[in-house]
Amino acid sequence: MKNVFGIALGILAAIGGFVDIGDIVFNVAAGATFGYQLLWAVVLGVGGIITYAEMCGRVGAVSKTAVFDAVRERLGFGVGFVALLAGELVNLMTLAAEIGGVAIALQLLSGLSYRALLVLAVLVLALVLWLMPFQWIERIFGYCGLALLVFVVAAFKLHPDWGAVAHGFVPSTGSGNGWVYAYFLVGLAGAAMIPYEVYFYSSGAIEEQWGPKDLGLNRANAVIGYSLGGLLSFALMISAGALLLPQGINAELLGTAALVAEAPLGQAGLILALVGILFAVSGAAIDSAFAGAYSVAQFFGWEWGKYRHNAGAPRFTLAWMVMIVLAFLIVVTGVDPIMVTELSVIFSVVALPLTYIPILLVANDRAYMGNYANGVVANILGVFYLVVVLVIAVAAIPLLVLSNMGQG
Amino acid sequence: MSTEIDLGLGVLDHQLIDSEGRRCGNADDLELEGVREGEPRVVAILTGPAAWRGRGFFGRLAASVVRGDLVRIPWEEVAEIESGVHLRKTARELRLGRGDDRVRRWIEKLPGSSL
Repeated sequence: MKNVFGIALGILAAIGGFVDIGDIVFNVAAGATFGYQLLWAVVLGVGGIITYAEMCGRVGAVSKTAVFDAVRERLGFGVGFVALLAGELVNLMTLAAEIGGVAIALQLLSGLSYRALLVLAVLVLALVLWLMPFQWIERIFGYCGLALLVFVVAAFKLHPDWGAVAHGFVPSTGSGNGWVYAYFLVGLAGAAMIPYEVYFYSSGAIEEQWGPKDLGLNRANAVIGYSLGGLLSFALMISAGALLLPQGINAELLGTAALVAEAPLGQAGLILALVGILFAVSGAAIDSAFAGAYSVAQFFGWEWGKYRHNAGAPRFTLAWMVMIVLAFLIVVTGVDPIMVTELSVIFSVVALPLTYIPILLVANDRAYMGNYANGVVANILGVFYLVVVLVIAVAAIPLLVLSNMGQG
Repeated sequence: MSTEIDLGLGVLDHQLIDSEGRRCGNADDLELEGVREGEPRVVAILTGPAAWRGRGFFGRLAASVVRGDLVRIPWEEVAEIESGVHLRKTARELRLGRGDDRVRRWIEKLPGSSL
C-alpha cells in the first residue's frame, strides 16, 4: 500500500513538473494560430520523452550511469565535448527563459517591476537549491504546478468543437502558412522533448538511489506522469484555439496564457493559472540549473548530486551557481523572455541527437544492463524517435529563418 | 580476472570511484606497454587535464584552457570494474579529486554548506 502511495505521489509530481515555459509558449501560440490542428505534434513529442526518460531512468537505476556519463563513455572526449558545449548552451538559454517566465508570472500577480522581480526570482531559486533536499524540491514544485489543471477545466468551459479537436490528433500537413506550421510542429515536439528533462531525470534516478526494484516506479513516472503532463499541453492548445483563434488574438505574451483561463473562469481561474505557471516554470528553472551542473560534473568526473550535500559535491554546487548567475545576466539585459524561450526550444532540438544516441547505445549494452537491457518495444520506439529527432534537428534552424520565428 | 573487458568501451572515459565511494575524475587516457613487442597491456590509467592532450583536437583545446597536471594511477590500484572504475585507495592517497577539494574550502565558508 505504501508502495502504491509512493508511486502515486511520484506520478503527481511528474505531471506538475512536465510543463515548462517552452510548452506554455508553443502550445498557446499554436492554438492561437492553427487551432487544434497541431495536437498530434504534442502526442509525437510526449511519446519521445516517455521513451527516452524511461530508458535513461532504467539505465540510471540499473547501472548508475547518468546521461553525460554515457555521452562521454560512448562518444569519447572529442564528440562528447561538442555534445557538452551544445547541451550547456541550451541548458543556459532554457534556464534564462524560465527565470524570465518566473518574473513575468510574479509581475502579473503583484504588479511590481519586472527587473526587481528577476532579482527576487533568482535569489529565491538559489536559496531553494541550496537549502532543500532533492525530494522536497521535486515534490513541492510538482504538486503546486498541478494548479495548471485549471486549463483542463477552461478547455471544457470554452466548449470547443470536439470533432475538430479529435481531428487535430490525426497527423496532417495543416492549412495556412506551411513554414509556420512546420515551425510550430518542430517547436511543440521539441518543447516536449527538451534535453534538460533527460539530463535531470537520469541523474534524479541516481539522486533518489533507485535500483532494479524501482523500475516499476520509473516506468509509471515516465509513462503515466508524462502522458498526463501532456494532457496539460492539450488543454493549453485547445483553450487557446477555442478562445484566441476566433478573435484573432496573437499570443506573444505569457499573460495571454493566463487570460485563456480567466475568460471562462473569472478571477479564480486567472489566479490558479498564474500560480500554476509560477510553480511549473520555477520547477523547470531548478531542473535546468541542476541539469547544467549534472552534465559538466559527469563529463569531467567530478563528484555530483544534491544527495552529497552542498560541500560534498563542491564543483557541482559551484556549477549550478554559475548557471544561475549567467542566466540572470542574460535576462536582466531586458531581452524578451518569450523570444529566448522560442530560441532555446529550437536550439534544443539540434542538441537532441547527441543526447539520445548514447542513451540508446547504453540501454542496449548487456555489459551495463544485464537482463534489464532494452526489449523489442523500447528499441522500436527508440530508433523511431532517433529518426524523428534527426529529421527535426536538421529542419529546426532553416524553419526558424523561413517562418520568421513563427511570424510568417 | 576471467571476465573479458573492452578497454575502449569499458574503461576509457569511465568514472573513477575511490575506496570510500567518492567520484574522483574520469579515466581520461590509458598507458600501454609492450605495443612494439606485440603484447600490449595496460599499465596505468591517466587522469587530469594534461591527459586530455592525447584526446584529439577538442582534448588539446580543453587542455589549453584548463590548468592541472596529469595523475597516473598504476593498474594495480584498480579493485573492480563496473560501470565505474573502483580503486583500492582513497582519492587523497592517489592525489585525485583535488579540484573538488580546492572549491570545497570556499563552499564550506557559506552557512548551510552541509545541507
